[in-house]
Order: sequence, then C-alpha cells, then structure tokens
Amino acid sequence: MSETSAKKDIEIVSAEPEVCPYCGSKRLFFSYDRGEIACVDCGSVVSVNRLDRGPDWRAFTAEEKERRSRTGPPVKPSLVTPSATSATIDWSGKDAFGRKLSTKQRFDMIRLRKWHKVSISSSVERNLVQAVEELDRLASKIGLPQNVRDEAFLIYKTAINKGLVKGRSINSVVAAALYAACRRLKIPITLDEFAKYTEVSDRKDIARCYRFLIKDANIRVDIADPVDFIERLIHMLNIKPTVYPMAKDIIMKAKDRGLTAGKDPAGLAAAAVYIAATLQGEKITQKDVAKAANVTEVTVRNRFKELMSKLNITGLPEE
Amino acid sequence: MVAFRGKYKYEIQNVVASISFGHSINLQQVATAMEDMVEYRPEQFPGLVFRLNKPKTATLIFSSGKMVCTGARSEKEVYKAVETIINKLKARGIHLAPNPRIQIQNIVASAQLNAEVNLEKAAALFENTMYEPEQFPGLIFRLQNPRVVMLIFSSGNMVCTGAKKEEDVKNAVETVYKMLKQQEVLFERA
Repeated sequence: MSETSAKKDIEIVSAEPEVCPYCGSKRLFFSYDRGEIACVDCGSVVSVNRLDRGPDWRAFTAEEKERRSRTGPPVKPSLVTPSATSATIDWSGKDAFGRKLSTKQRFDMIRLRKWHKVSISSSVERNLVQAVEELDRLASKIGLPQNVRDEAFLIYKTAINKGLVKGRSINSVVAAALYAACRRLKIPITLDEFAKYTEVSDRKDIARCYRFLIKDANIRVDIADPVDFIERLIHMLNIKPTVYPMAKDIIMKAKDRGLTAGKDPAGLAAAAVYIAATLQGEKITQKDVAKAANVTEVTVRNRFKELMSKLNITGLPEE
Repeated sequence: MVAFRGKYKYEIQNVVASISFGHSINLQQVATAMEDMVEYRPEQFPGLVFRLNKPKTATLIFSSGKMVCTGARSEKEVYKAVETIINKLKARGIHLAPNPRIQIQNIVASAQLNAEVNLEKAAALFENTMYEPEQFPGLIFRLQNPRVVMLIFSSGNMVCTGAKKEEDVKNAVETVYKMLKQQEVLFERA
C-alpha cells in the first residue's frame, strides 16, 4: 500500500459501528491522529483507542529514516530547561529518613534554602522558576492539558528572552502566555476566565500583556472562532449534541453575510446555540446560555435578534 | 489616484499641541487678573485651565512656562488660540514671550469609508494589525508611513490617531483606503 493513504488523517468509514448510537447518523469518520471513530454530524466519539491496521511506513534512505523516526529526545519544553525544574529545598523540616531536624539544623536549612534560591544564577532563570510555578498553578486551576502548558511556556520564554517581562508582573504575563497558547491551540476560553483565577492582576492587565506578546514577541494567533465555543457551550448546558451542526451552520451563514465582524465570538456562539437548541425543542433560557458563555444576557439578546432577523430564521416563539 | 477621492471622507476632531515660552509664569497672578476666564485650583491640579470660545479650545498653562492646547479642529486653530491667549493676557497687564515654540503633538481624526469592511480578512492579509473581537470590536492598524494608528470598524468608520501633521491624516486615510480596496475587503453598501 502506498504511503499516502496511510497518511490521510480523516477517512469516512462504513465498517464496524455503522450508525451513530446518539443521533443515528451514518456518517462516521475515523481520525488516524487520535485513533477514534466519531460522528460527523453530532460530534460524539463512538469508539476510542482504535488501532491503525494499515501498513507501517518504511524508510529507504537515511534521510527518510530520520524523518520518520518516532523516538528521540524529550519534546516537553519544560523538561528541556533545567533551571525551570531545578530542585529546591523543601519546607518539610525532615531529613532524608523522615526524622525531624533539630532546631539548629532547621535554621541552617532555612538559610540554605534562601541562599539556594538566590544562587540560581541569572535573574532570568529565577524569573522562570517563579513563572513555571504560576503557570502550573493557573493551568491546573482552569484544567488545561500539558500541551497547552508547554506551548505557554515556550511563549513565555520567547517573551522573557526579548525582555518583555521586565516591568510587568510575572503573573499577568504568565496568564497572557497561557491565553495565547489556548488561542493557538483553539481551546475556547475567554480572558475573563483567566482573570478570575489570577488573583493579583485583572482582565485589563492580562489583555495588555497579551497585546504586547502578540505585537513584540511576534506570536501569530488566529482570530478566535465562534465555532470553537459551540461544543463547549453544548457540553456545559448539557443539551442534545445534535444542536452542534445546526449552531455551526448558523455561525457559518452569519460569517458569509459578514455579521460576525467585530462581534465577541463567545456572544455569537451563545446566540447560535440558543437558537439551535430552542428550534430543536430544548428548554433553555438566554440567561443560562449567557452564564455558560461568560457574556451578559444583553449580548446574547442582541446577537440573537441580529441573527434571527438577518438570517431570516423562523419557527421560534417571539420574545 | 484621484479616482478614489470622494469615496471616503475624513474630519479632524482634535489637535493637541504643546507650547513653550521659555520663561516661568506666575499662575497665581494670571488667575487673579483673568478671574472671569480661567480655572485655577492648585490643590486639585497644578495647571491653570484657560477655556476659549473662539476657537473652541481648552489650554492648560503651567508655571514652568509651558502650555498644552487641546480641542482645536485644525493646526491653524492652535496658532490662533495661542495668539488669543497671549493678547488677552497682555490686555490685563501680563506679558508673555511673543513667539513661543509650538509643537503639534497629536491629531485625532474620524473617517468614513462608506463601505463595510471584512475585518477578519483584513487582519489576516496585513502586517502590523491586531484584531481581537473578544477585547475590542475594531481592527487596530499601525501604519509605518505616515506613523499613525488607525482603528478600523466593520461599519467602515475609522479613527486615526497619532498624526503629527494634517497631511499625515490625509495620507493615512488614503493609504488605508487603497490597501483595503486593493485586497478586496471593502464592500460597497447596497
């Protein structure tokens, strides 16, 4: 078999689970990247951890061998930087055997800890240690996976190497880097959520840092897509997955008409989900959607009215 | 490209200038002499505020001999305002250096393209732009020449800030209009 067919990341399959048990659709696809079978229409994952039974690729030249190799040094960026994960002396007040330290030893350890911290060579490295701590804390609180943390760490490192962190609080820049990472990886999260979990800095501060990252650290970020928010909203509101394709359709149509320009993507997604869900008989209120999307009710209502009138959607009870 | 003219329009909204006399000014003396025309509350703000009706401007006068003139609609109005202030002070017996150094610091203008703009496409096509609908509905376009910042909204309204000359505004609006037109991100309204 040729390599091309094995490399295709999406292929419609009809064998094995033939219909989606959730919405009954027959259009299932097998994602080679994730080893999953999922439904094209409602997005439910039908089967996971599937094996790719296709032939493995072979390497004929040294170059190909290099390119196709699947092993190598660790790619986790925070592991590559020794300083960021360097050892620190803990506060437990116990020795290696778990015995309590004497008072004198304890004071010695406090001094040692102080010196150890100071002696971590450059200010950049000390900064990184603090930043990684905050990054992990914030990411854990929001529940972001490791790949986002790594991306954020790389962004933060670029920023610090360009001297962008100087004069700003580490916490704000870390939050901005994490936000930028989320945006790059298309994780639907709003700045407000970051502001909620970063105690020392507010939304505006993080937004300012984020703008600096984009402008001066040359980080390319795509425009936030309302479609990315739909899935999350449906999950949070606990409504039928069949709402997804419909809401997506509404957003796509709105995009074509240029209705999305300058509008908050979270608000747009909220209105689209509200319309689609209501059309499908789900009983949800604008208040619920607004809360889930972290926007105000007024935003949802305005977007809702706009979409309804400009896209000529009917079949909804009037407000 | 004269053909583009008339399709868009712009209007200067504010001109800010700094004026330097090079000698200190006794604000208390000015405040007493001009009581009917100025506001001076040193405990609140160290500068003296001189509001003019014609041209409609507000000028801050500081004891260091520097002034800031805001609210003018053109460069000409700035010069006129400064002249008026000098003359009014002279009439009450306060003499200032006759030819102060005047520097235009910032010109703000509004513009209308009379066409809708596809901001998403524009943001992708141009360098030095920033478009974050989550934070601000407009596209922020930093031009290098002339060095101004243009806020572009989907309705075709624009705000131009940071210009130092009236000509900068004209050039900037024209440049942006041409760029948008060329990349086909402008949609004439039906």
